[in-house]
Amino acid sequence: MKNKIAVILYSSFIMLFLVLGVLTEGSGYSVSERRKLAEKPELSYENITSGNYMTEFEEYSTDNFPLRESYRRIKAFFSKYILCKKDNNGIYIADGHISSIDYPTNMEMVSNAYNKFNYIYDSYLKGKTQNIYLSVIPDKNCYLASENGFPHIDYNKLTDELKKNMSYANYIDIFPMLDINDYYKTDSHWKQENITHIAEFIGNAMGKSTVSQYKVNNATKDFAGVFLGQAALPFKKDELNYLTNDIIDSAVVTYYDTGAPKQGEMYNMEKAYGKDPYEIFLSGTSPLIEIENKKAPEGSRLVLFRDSYGSSLAPLLVPGYRNITVVDIRYIQSNMLGNFIDFEGSDVLFLYSTSIINNSMSLR
Amino acid sequence: MLFSGIPFLYWFLPVVIILYYLAPEPLKNTVLLLSSLFFYAWGEPVYVFLMVSTILAGYFGGIIIEKCKNRHARKLFLALSVIFSLSSLIYFKYADFFINNFNRLTGLSVPFLKLALPVGISFYTFQILSYTIDVYKDKIPAQKNPIILATYVALFPQLIAGPIVRYTDICSQLQNRTHTVEKANEGCRRFITGLAKKVLIANTLGELCKDFVASDNVSVLYFWINSIAYALQIYYDFSGYSDMAIGLGKIFGFEFNENFNYPFISRSVTEFWRRWHISLGSWFRDYIYIPMGGNRVSKFRFIINIFTVWCLTGFWHGAEWNFIIWGLYFGIILIIEKFFLGRILEKHIIISYIYTIFLTVISFAVFSADGAYGAYYNIAGLIGAGDIPLISSASIYAVKNYGAILVLAVIGSTPLPRILYGRLFKRRPALGSIAEISGCLILLTVSTAFLVDGSFNPFLYFRF
Repeated sequence: MKNKIAVILYSSFIMLFLVLGVLTEGSGYSVSERRKLAEKPELSYENITSGNYMTEFEEYSTDNFPLRESYRRIKAFFSKYILCKKDNNGIYIADGHISSIDYPTNMEMVSNAYNKFNYIYDSYLKGKTQNIYLSVIPDKNCYLASENGFPHIDYNKLTDELKKNMSYANYIDIFPMLDINDYYKTDSHWKQENITHIAEFIGNAMGKSTVSQYKVNNATKDFAGVFLGQAALPFKKDELNYLTNDIIDSAVVTYYDTGAPKQGEMYNMEKAYGKDPYEIFLSGTSPLIEIENKKAPEGSRLVLFRDSYGSSLAPLLVPGYRNITVVDIRYIQSNMLGNFIDFEGSDVLFLYSTSIINNSMSLR
Repeated sequence: MLFSGIPFLYWFLPVVIILYYLAPEPLKNTVLLLSSLFFYAWGEPVYVFLMVSTILAGYFGGIIIEKCKNRHARKLFLALSVIFSLSSLIYFKYADFFINNFNRLTGLSVPFLKLALPVGISFYTFQILSYTIDVYKDKIPAQKNPIILATYVALFPQLIAGPIVRYTDICSQLQNRTHTVEKANEGCRRFITGLAKKVLIANTLGELCKDFVASDNVSVLYFWINSIAYALQIYYDFSGYSDMAIGLGKIFGFEFNENFNYPFISRSVTEFWRRWHISLGSWFRDYIYIPMGGNRVSKFRFIINIFTVWCLTGFWHGAEWNFIIWGLYFGIILIIEKFFLGRILEKHIIISYIYTIFLTVISFAVFSADGAYGAYYNIAGLIGAGDIPLISSASIYAVKNYGAILVLAVIGSTPLPRILYGRLFKRRPALGSIAEISGCLILLTVSTAFLVDGSFNPFLYFRF
C-alpha cells in the first residue's frame, strides 16, 4: 500500500507540473528579477540541427516554470535557513540592508573604463578645457560588506588605478562623506535626500556654488529596490523621495533618446509606479539629456558623464550651472559624442560608481 | 539533456513513463530505444548518428565473431571491432592532446582539430567494447535482435554519465523483466535522493569551488577547503547521477549494479577504488588488468600492469597530463599498499582513515587542475609554498558561507544517516513510510526550486 501511495504521489507531482507547463503561457517578464523571461524557441530545421532549439527550450522551460516565484522563495529560504548560506546567488542581507556581492576587483574592467574615458579626453577635451574632474561613487558594499564579513572589491586599488591613469582629471573624493544609511535598503542606489552635501562638495570642488534649499517630496512608500526581488525573502520596502525647489521646477529638460530632442521633466512621476521607481530621476536610462537653468549665470556649462547614480545627483548640480549636458556612454557610442556636444570651455565631470567601473563592459 | 534539468524532469520523463507503461510488453524496449535516441539527439543532434554507427558496428561485430569458428579469424574480427569502436573515441577525445604534444616535441605547428567531444562517448564506447569482448570470450551469445542491443547501449538512464553497465549483467533483463510497484517506488526514491545529492549538495559545493577560482585572496586554508569541497562535489555529483540512473533503471524494470559504496570510509586507497566508480574500476580490471596477467605474474610485470591500467584510467578521465599524473599517482600508492603498507594500515584504524582521506583529497587537487602546471599550483597551495598566507578573509568567508553544507556533505558521505534512519523507524514502519514519502516530496520540491532559480548547474561529464 505504501508503495502505491508513494508512486501515485510522486508521479502526480511531476504530471501536474507537466500539464501546467503545457497549458500555461509565460508572462514574458519577471517583475521581481527585473528581466525579460526567455520566450518559446522557434521550431525550425536550422534551430534543431544547430542545437539552439534545445538550449533555448531549456531556458524557456526553466524561466516559465509554473509557480516560479514561489519556488524562488523556497530556494532562498532553504539556502538561508537550512544550508545556512550567507548569500544566495550573491545576494546577502546585513544590517537591515540587501546587497549584492561584487568581488573580486577586476583590473581588466577598471582599465577598460579608464581607457574609454581617456579616449573621450583625447578626442574631445584635450586643448578645449582644463576643468576636468573625476569622482567615484562607492557602492553600498563599501559600507556594508567588510563590516559584516562579506567579500568586496579593493576600493583603494580601484580609485588609485583610475587616478593614476587619468592624471588630467582632478579627483574629488566623496568616500568619507557617505555611510550605509545614505543608501536604499533594498536597492543599490543612494537616496537623493541624503546626498545634497555631496552635490555641494562636488560643486565647490569645481568652483561652483550648488548650495540650495530643497523640499522633500514622497514619490512612493512602496519602493521595491532591485535587490528585493533578487533576494526572494520577505523584507520591508523603501520610501522613495525626491527634492524640488524653484530652480529645479523651472529648469528646462530636453531628452535626446532617439536623436531628436524631446522636452520632458526632471522627475518622471509615471515611473514611480513602474518596474523601477528609481527611474523617476531623469526618466531612468537616457543617452543624452540637456538641462537648462535660466536662473544661473550665462556661460557656466557642465558635461556630466554618469551612470544611474548620476540621475539623482544631476538635479542637485543644476543650481550651479546654466547648462548641464548629462551623458550616459552605456547608451551612446563615445565616438559619436562630437556630433552632439560642444566641450569648449566646459567643466567636465566623470562620475561613475565602483560597480560600473568594476564591470565596465557596458561602456561604449 | 540533463537529468537535473527542468526539460528532463517535467517534460521528457513523465511522457516517456506514460508511453512505456502504456506500451505492450513486446514494444517496451522499442519505446525505451526511441526515447533514448531522442534523449541523446537532444544534446547531440548530429553525433547521435555516430552512436548509432558504433552500435551497428558492435552488433555486426558480435554476430560475425560468434559465427567465426577459426580462432585467428575471431581474433581478427574482435580487433577490427575494438579498433572501430575506439577510433572515434580516440579521434574526438585525444586527437588534440596528441597534436599538442607532438607540436611541443617537434617544434612544429600542426593545427588543432578543435572537435567537440560527443557527450557520453567514453561510456557507450566502453559498453559496446565489453559486449564484443564478452561475445568473443563466449561469455554470452551474440544478440541477434538489433533493437535489444541498441537499447542496451543507448539506454538513457546510464548513457551520458554511467554507470558502465555490462551486457552480461542485464541481457536477461532486456528480454524479460518485471515491473512492480515496489520496484517503481524504490526507483523513485533512489532517483529523488540522487537528484537532491546533485542539485542541493554537489552544485552548492561547486559554487564554493567556483568562488575559489575567481578569488584574488587565496590562502592555504582556502586551498584545503576547495580541495575537500571538490572531492565531495565530484562524489555527490557522480554518485547522485548514478543514483538517478539506478533509480530510473528500476522504474523501467532494470536492476543496475551499484557504482559507489561510501568510498570516503575506506581505510586504504585500494579499498577506495573498490568503492569509487565501481563500474569503471571493474571494467579496467576485467578487460585490461586480468588479460595482462593481473597479479599472477612476476613482481616486475605486476608493476607494469598496474602502471598501464592506472595510466589508462587517468587518461580515460581526460585528455590532459594532469589526469595521467592523477592515474599514476594512484598506481604508485596501490603498489606500495600491495607490497607492505596495506598490512600496516589494517592494524591502525584511525591512521588508515586519515591516510586515505588525505591522499584522496590531494588526488582531487590534481584532478581538478588545469593541466600539469595547474596540478603543481594546487599542490603548492596545499602545502603553503611561496607567499600564500595560511588564512585569508576570503577563506573565512568560505567557511562561514559553506560550513554547514560541508558538514552535511561529510556526514552524508558515510553510512551514518542510513543507520540512524533504520534505527529510528525500524519499529515504527508506518511513521517510517510517512517520513520517507514526505522527505522525498520535500527533496523533489526543493531540488526543483534550486533548478528554477539556480544559475549554476554544471555538467561535469563533458570530458566523457
